[in-house]
Amino acid sequence: MDASSPLKSSPPENLRDRCQTLDLVLQVNGRSRRVVADPRVTLLDALRENLGLTGSKKGCDHGQCGACTVHVDGRRVLSCLTFAAAAEGKHITTIEGLAPQEGDLHPMQQAFMDHDAFQCGYCTPGQIMSAVACVTEGHAETDADIREYMSGNLCRCAAYPNIVDAIKQAKPLMRERDA
Amino acid sequence: MTISESQVGPISEGGMFGKPVPRIDGRLKVTGAACYPSDTPMEDTAHAYLVTSAIARGKIKAFHLEDAKAVDGVLDILTWENMKGKVRSVRFFAGGGYASSTIMPMSSSKIWHAGQIIAVVIAESFEAAREAAYKVGVDYAVNKPKAGFDESRPQPRPMTNPLTRSDPATGDAEKAFAAAPVKIEAYYSTPTQHHNAIELFSTTCVWSGDQLTIYEPSQYVHGLKNGVARQLGIKPDKVRIISPFVGGGFGGKAALTARTAFIALAAQRLNRPVKLVATRKQAYTVSNFRAETQHLIKLGAESNGQLTSLSHEGWEVSSRPDEYKVAGTETTAVLYACPNIATRVNVIHADRSTPGFMRSPAEVPYIFAIESAMDELAVALHMDPVELRRINDTQINPITDAPYSSRALMTCYDTAAKAFGWASRNPVPGSMTDGDWLIGWGCATSCYPTNVAPAEAKVTLAPNGSVRVQSAGHDIGTGAYTALAITAAEFLGVPLERVSVELGDSTLPPAPVAGGSNATASICNAVADACKELRHRLVTAAVASNGPMHGLDRDMITFSDGQLRAPDGQSETLMAASARLGFGPIEAHAKYMPEIASKTIKLVGNAMLGKGLPIMASGTSAGDHIQYAFGAEFVEVRVHRRTREIRAPRIVGAFAAGRIISPTTARSQLMGGLIWGISAALHEATEMDHRFARYVNDDLAEYMVPVNADIQDVEVIFVPEDDTKVNALGIKGLGELGNVGTNAAVANAVYHATGQRIRDLPIRLENLL
Repeated sequence: MDASSPLKSSPPENLRDRCQTLDLVLQVNGRSRRVVADPRVTLLDALRENLGLTGSKKGCDHGQCGACTVHVDGRRVLSCLTFAAAAEGKHITTIEGLAPQEGDLHPMQQAFMDHDAFQCGYCTPGQIMSAVACVTEGHAETDADIREYMSGNLCRCAAYPNIVDAIKQAKPLMRERDA
Repeated sequence: MTISESQVGPISEGGMFGKPVPRIDGRLKVTGAACYPSDTPMEDTAHAYLVTSAIARGKIKAFHLEDAKAVDGVLDILTWENMKGKVRSVRFFAGGGYASSTIMPMSSSKIWHAGQIIAVVIAESFEAAREAAYKVGVDYAVNKPKAGFDESRPQPRPMTNPLTRSDPATGDAEKAFAAAPVKIEAYYSTPTQHHNAIELFSTTCVWSGDQLTIYEPSQYVHGLKNGVARQLGIKPDKVRIISPFVGGGFGGKAALTARTAFIALAAQRLNRPVKLVATRKQAYTVSNFRAETQHLIKLGAESNGQLTSLSHEGWEVSSRPDEYKVAGTETTAVLYACPNIATRVNVIHADRSTPGFMRSPAEVPYIFAIESAMDELAVALHMDPVELRRINDTQINPITDAPYSSRALMTCYDTAAKAFGWASRNPVPGSMTDGDWLIGWGCATSCYPTNVAPAEAKVTLAPNGSVRVQSAGHDIGTGAYTALAITAAEFLGVPLERVSVELGDSTLPPAPVAGGSNATASICNAVADACKELRHRLVTAAVASNGPMHGLDRDMITFSDGQLRAPDGQSETLMAASARLGFGPIEAHAKYMPEIASKTIKLVGNAMLGKGLPIMASGTSAGDHIQYAFGAEFVEVRVHRRTREIRAPRIVGAFAAGRIISPTTARSQLMGGLIWGISAALHEATEMDHRFARYVNDDLAEYMVPVNADIQDVEVIFVPEDDTKVNALGIKGLGELGNVGTNAAVANAVYHATGQRIRDLPIRLENLL
């Protein structure tokens, strides 16, 4: 999704007229984005419905599947269990902002492609956000560790062994890049 | 990627079939740019939230909507009182129609099952719709429901006189069983299961005048289009379905569910787009599921292992109005050589939603029963289970004598056994250990019929030499985009990156449901036919009197590296060749009809496909033969001596599924299938509160599916197989092959580890105490 999205970044008038709304500014992928929405809006719904960032997925809305995983201040969080209001002032990174620049791929994205670490692709953005965090947390030192620390992200197509292989490919490339 | 080219047989003439390439839609998926239907940007959207029934049987006496309507931002509430008569009935999918169930929620006050849609709240925001939905008050008149099976072991009925012709049988199974020197007789059962694709059931409807556009994840866009049109009483060409990506289907998104028409009507009433994303909990009742089954198997054998009698009686649960059954006896009756076979399938009706397709619908429960019993027979005979399969292997249908088009079952067994190290197995239960872990090794047969359907595809060669493939097929994670691109690249001799593929839009040429593992075989053949027509036109122009290859034998001209090539070294680019056919793109539209189609399908298949009706030529009766893909699966389980924790650290599957078009995605499909099988054996069950006929673990925290830590080594081996009887390209579908034999292989391994024979799935540590 990009600036050409027909989604308005300003609030729909009817929402403001008819409902109680919250007006906040989120720092998403290095940009300030205004969100006017119901005060109960989750970070996930704010990203998807208000900001047009639909890479983060809704698979359960209850913190059970991991498809909505994003980074907040560098840590992986479940955006469906985070109120948008609670993320104000923090640095939010979504799958759309993971690559260093537009058109590039993060080594983890490339590794997921190289190892066919997905099928339907729906859980994939969440898997990749978790996988990056898994490496930066230092939880990708052994296969068993990777499997354990990736177990908050369900993949019903069951690409699990390929996901482990992808993380093993990306880990040294990430460290090289960050060194 | 660890696939070597030699693993899938020789690379094809065009250099593309069998070559492991990355998924062509991979970049979209890893960047978050793949647009699943609920991702579609839209202005001024209203949000819908479903209210579902708290009771399983009875009726709604009254609604109390005041509190719900008072919520800020609520726009509309649909109930049976304002929806009655607004949605027309359509026929049941399994009966040749469109609907996943003939139950019509909100057509009256009647409640057929718990979780039935009883109201739809539409509001300015998702949050307001949800709050108002919680505030919808309902008074019910409650009747006591029937939840499913009444008894844990149903009484068998005499098999001597099968009630229906559809129950496969031959000889006298009862008599042969009585006379057999070695016998196995046992009940087996499989639980209720739900697909639980990670993508939820969403529907977004937008009207533009009298034109309705529906964004909904679908395994059958032409079926959905025609079904909704019929429900709403509008012309099919006024409805468009857009579903370019599907976040997992597994059968749950194949047939029309009730929700779609309500969202279309809500959008019409409000004159603005309405978006529904049903909750995870609602996913357990707004679509279909795999019903629980019971089986009684009787096997009789000679002391050398030869089967003399096989009988398989199955019991399945369906809803009150619909007679849905998977009837896997069609396959279990033809799996092994046996002179006396009897089968029967019984359906029990209960106050439940209508079950339906879930990955290998018939094979998963029925093969579990027969393959567990075969292992029990091997134990009784003191025989290696692989050798028991070899003794009873057959190349013909034992009932009709029709040959299998090809059947490499024993090659699969031998290949997988070698990779697994089966030869070092000590057959004595509990004899293999590693510290506190009891090690068990088990195996089982996998098979799936090779179904093929009529399909259409359009292939366009642009003046710049790029190729566009269009078909209303579906990529539900199966790799269809990639397999179709490979097919076009193969036949037109263009690099893969010059091919684009469009799927999942009902304005494209009709293609069959992504079900029954038919899609790759059906649509690749349609794409191949279209490409061959383009080749014919290009070659005709090249050898014409004004062409650069004038006078050459047209059959000698090949297509590679974006060129037409003659044996004498002459070549011409596709671009130049195409330009001589005229300005602009050249296109071919192919209508593929399966070689194995019956006379009836050949007559009406294309018309039915255009109407979005289910139409498929079944591998179980392909004219003069039957056609199946086969596999052999070997599993290692470890059961902890004290805690009885069960792990499945290692699984090897060898599969013979004809020509492998796209090894990368085929391997992923089979690997995912094997893990589905481990899941069915050790994890999954939707638990029922029988007092109220309600599910109690209807979410992803309590419905167990494997996580990454549950899975370790998974090895997929392709056994090369050349079989052009199944279809011109020799493709056998494999999307459902992987998870068929696994549950029995796991159960057999658990027996080997512990000496405990568990006949009811899933197997959990409490079963091994």
